[in-house]
Amino acid sequence: MSVELRHVSKAYAGQPVLSDANLEVRDGELLVILGRSGSGKSTLLKLIGGLDTPDAGAVVHAGRDLSAMNDTERTRFRRQSLGFVFQFFNLIPTLTVAENIRLPLALNGCAEAPADARIASLLQTLALHECAARFPEELSGGEQQRVALARALAHGPRLILADEPTGNLDSETAEQVLALLDKTCRDSGTTLIVATHSNDVAGIADRVLRIRNAALEAAR
Amino acid sequence: MMYRLLARSAARFYARHPWQLVLAIAGISLGVAVYVGVELANDSARRAFDLSTSVMRGQTTHRLLPVGGRIAEEVYAELILERRARAAAPVVESVVALGSRGGPRYALLGIDPVEEIGFREYSGFVPGQDADFEVLIATPATVLLPESAIAALGVEVGARITLVAAGEAHEVEVVGTVAALGTADSEPPVIADLSTAQELLGITGWLDRIDLVLTAEQSSDLAAAPPPGTSLVVAGSESLPLTEMTRAFRTNLSALGLLALVVGMFLVYATISFAVVQRRGMIGLLRSLGARRRSLLATFLVEALAIGLIGTLIGLVLGHVLADGLIGLVLRTIGDLAFAATLNAVEPSSAIYVRGAALGLSATALAAFIPALEAARSEPDVALSRARLERTTRTHSRLAAWLALPLLALAGALLAAGGEGLIVAFAALFLVLCAGAMLVPAATAALMRAFVPAARHGGIALLMAVRGVSASLSRTGVAAAALAVAVATVVGITLMIASFRASLVAWLDTTLTADVYLSADASDSGDAFVPERLAALAALPEVRALSLSRVVRLPTRFGELPLRAATPGPEGFGLDFVAGSAEQATARLRSSASLLVAEPMAFRFGLEPGDAVELPTPSGTAVFEVVGVFRDYSTAGSALFMELDTYRRHWGDLRLTGVGVHLARDVETAQGVAAVRAALADDAAIRLRSTESIERLSLTVFDRTFEITEVLRILAAVVAFLGVLSASLAIQLERTRELAILRAIGFSRRDLGILVLTQTGLLGLAAGVAAIPIGGVLAALLVHVINRRSFGWSMDLVITPGPAMVGVVLAVAAALLAGVYPAVRASRTNLDAALRDE
Repeated sequence: MSVELRHVSKAYAGQPVLSDANLEVRDGELLVILGRSGSGKSTLLKLIGGLDTPDAGAVVHAGRDLSAMNDTERTRFRRQSLGFVFQFFNLIPTLTVAENIRLPLALNGCAEAPADARIASLLQTLALHECAARFPEELSGGEQQRVALARALAHGPRLILADEPTGNLDSETAEQVLALLDKTCRDSGTTLIVATHSNDVAGIADRVLRIRNAALEAAR
Repeated sequence: MMYRLLARSAARFYARHPWQLVLAIAGISLGVAVYVGVELANDSARRAFDLSTSVMRGQTTHRLLPVGGRIAEEVYAELILERRARAAAPVVESVVALGSRGGPRYALLGIDPVEEIGFREYSGFVPGQDADFEVLIATPATVLLPESAIAALGVEVGARITLVAAGEAHEVEVVGTVAALGTADSEPPVIADLSTAQELLGITGWLDRIDLVLTAEQSSDLAAAPPPGTSLVVAGSESLPLTEMTRAFRTNLSALGLLALVVGMFLVYATISFAVVQRRGMIGLLRSLGARRRSLLATFLVEALAIGLIGTLIGLVLGHVLADGLIGLVLRTIGDLAFAATLNAVEPSSAIYVRGAALGLSATALAAFIPALEAARSEPDVALSRARLERTTRTHSRLAAWLALPLLALAGALLAAGGEGLIVAFAALFLVLCAGAMLVPAATAALMRAFVPAARHGGIALLMAVRGVSASLSRTGVAAAALAVAVATVVGITLMIASFRASLVAWLDTTLTADVYLSADASDSGDAFVPERLAALAALPEVRALSLSRVVRLPTRFGELPLRAATPGPEGFGLDFVAGSAEQATARLRSSASLLVAEPMAFRFGLEPGDAVELPTPSGTAVFEVVGVFRDYSTAGSALFMELDTYRRHWGDLRLTGVGVHLARDVETAQGVAAVRAALADDAAIRLRSTESIERLSLTVFDRTFEITEVLRILAAVVAFLGVLSASLAIQLERTRELAILRAIGFSRRDLGILVLTQTGLLGLAAGVAAIPIGGVLAALLVHVINRRSFGWSMDLVITPGPAMVGVVLAVAAALLAGVYPAVRASRTNLDAALRDE
């Protein structure tokens, strides 16, 4: 099992966002979580990614409870096992495309030569080879999201968490990005959890869940 | 309505970013505090100086001075009876020690109390309530003591105390006190009746001067035909060089105070700039909604002035507190420059507070104007785009760098065309500083670009830090400029002080050719160095040779000036020539009616070799040719120098005031000092000092003189530190999301802290490197222009790597220190909050 949520609850300012949520995600599964704005889907991703801690219950990755880890252990876990894709791309503006992709590799102590090879391969796969030396501000939204995807995949994480990955893109670009997400994750056997409000995204999913009234329920 | 909404918005902005408000207020309040503190201290020093000179001068318009020696009392009678002077007061003056030979030294003023009443109305001093002038006149060996001396000696009126005059100890009775003027003033003198003072000094029948109140007609008559052996000078001319010197010292301090205000302005500029760029979203929105440029300009200016008002008020209070500390330092320095007696503090003028407030508010408005104008000129889309803002900043930084060149040219033109004026020199100095500040942002960006290839090898985090500095130039540029200006000031002043010190050491080395110096007060009766005593000294086996000197004050057309006449020692006269050939001048000194002029005097009066100087001698006016100009850093030293034989030939005065003892080569100084001391048989009229002790004392006084600049340097560094702190916090605030992303993808808290610290360290490094050339130019200006125009002193600019290294280390250390809090904040980035709006 890749990820497991056991009776997870979370509230903000007394307002429950998640109540007694239970979930099992298999290795290599593509899961889409649907929900309206403010429904708690981003919170769910943050809990899974160890960016936030549940009020109750446990988030378990490959048998290890995130709540039992200290900050250093959670940081190491994120560094090695997770990749993030955000709605607003969140690339580092002072690094070029290639350097942004290098960031997780450098953090994981990858040597120069294999890192160069991996970056070249990702740039090729995601059709970014012409942008390698450019800075994020010089790219279009679609290109930026592809760079974000490359950065999320670079170190070969077990799980990618994508929060509204197409929310800031036009429909055509969104389709291309989704297709790339689908293909690259399936090719590499990476588990993918996507949080979105768009039913269009659900098309790539092996399974779709919906958050409604702080409860996690199957949508398809 | 609109303004009220904008004001409310601004208030809430600062409520959410209190540190930004605190830093802006701190910047302006520190600047105002330093300015007001220095001005208050200066004003007090000026008053003390004026009071001390007026204490000795009273209402006197002219002074009749002796031409070599003293004035016979008969001259006084002649002035009253034959020349019908409106008022004349005979004076004897000297320096005495109270309590014991080593006791506190005070000026002794011997007066005729009957003449003083109605003439000076005791404006020259204020008698204490218990001062009994009848007793003073009628009873020999009675004095009035300054109240401070009464307190220092722990005696009361009626007590008998020891008074050491002309090397002899006397017992005198205290018959009253001399009050301090107002609440605080310069130290008043010991007052004695004329005949008592003459007896104490062993000069019965002789006067040191006659103070006169003359009409214009009387003064021109008397000047044309003075009594034999005398010369008439305008009262106050004797202190003219000192007045100029202390005024120059105060001008220098004022400039340093203004400099602190300029550095403070950078902080205000930085803070308001950050406040504008942080609200660029809001500005863009307001512009989109139709807000007029004028409204935005007015809003930001009012906001800045409100901050400026608070900062100024705090600065005035801090300035008052600072002045308490500075006044002591300034007065002590001026005391070192001008007086033997210690000066006390005086009440400062309230006009300074008004000026400080006006300057504080003006500085704030000036500093805020550019960012406010930028806000007002924002196009809606520009205001919303950070990337475009940074691109604009980079363009502006390049433009500013180009604009700095004409500023530097203007500074050069001012120096070339501005004559010898000090204000012009300071204007040029500020232009250089401004130009330097304008060059810094572009230089910072260029330096970071140069670092990139190396940073690539240092890892991605280092690369991010390097790129981060130039990518946030809208913040880092201003912070680097503020830091560079402050550090350049420190480097410049340190280099100037080091240069001055090195020149002083070299000068002392050249000048002090003897091993031991013996001196007697110029006002002593003059028999301290009788021929028998000189012969006994010369006969000592430890002594190789003696060099003799006589210092007198001469009335000249330049005022009353000290003349030193000396015989050369085995190594010559010990003079460091700055104009004229040393060899030719020395030969001419021995053979003709010629003299040398000290550099400050030559500078002040435009004298050079070949000029003629007229001096009054007992046989009439004699003309002396200037054959050279010598370096002289002694503030109370000689203005004119001639060979002793020449002096004796013209003035017929065989007395000496100093003897230089040159020890045999194999004799240790301590051994020589002991032998000389034994030969003097404890003659209290002669003071003995070794060359080492003179050098030590000179350097101590020198170091003390510059203590005040140390305070200002620290304050400039504090302001710069706050500037970097402000910039670092602004950058960190703007990068909250970026830092959160880095945390999300695996940066540890420590990694983030190191990233922020590396970035501020690089900022400090850039500022430190930029500060070196600016500081160097500043030092050159201070050494070759400011000091020369202030004091007439030339010195060699000594560029050593030390101050430059210290500057870089200071800049990096200040930046790293300023980066600690932002680094801690960065490491505590709340991931959930930072990413919540995803």
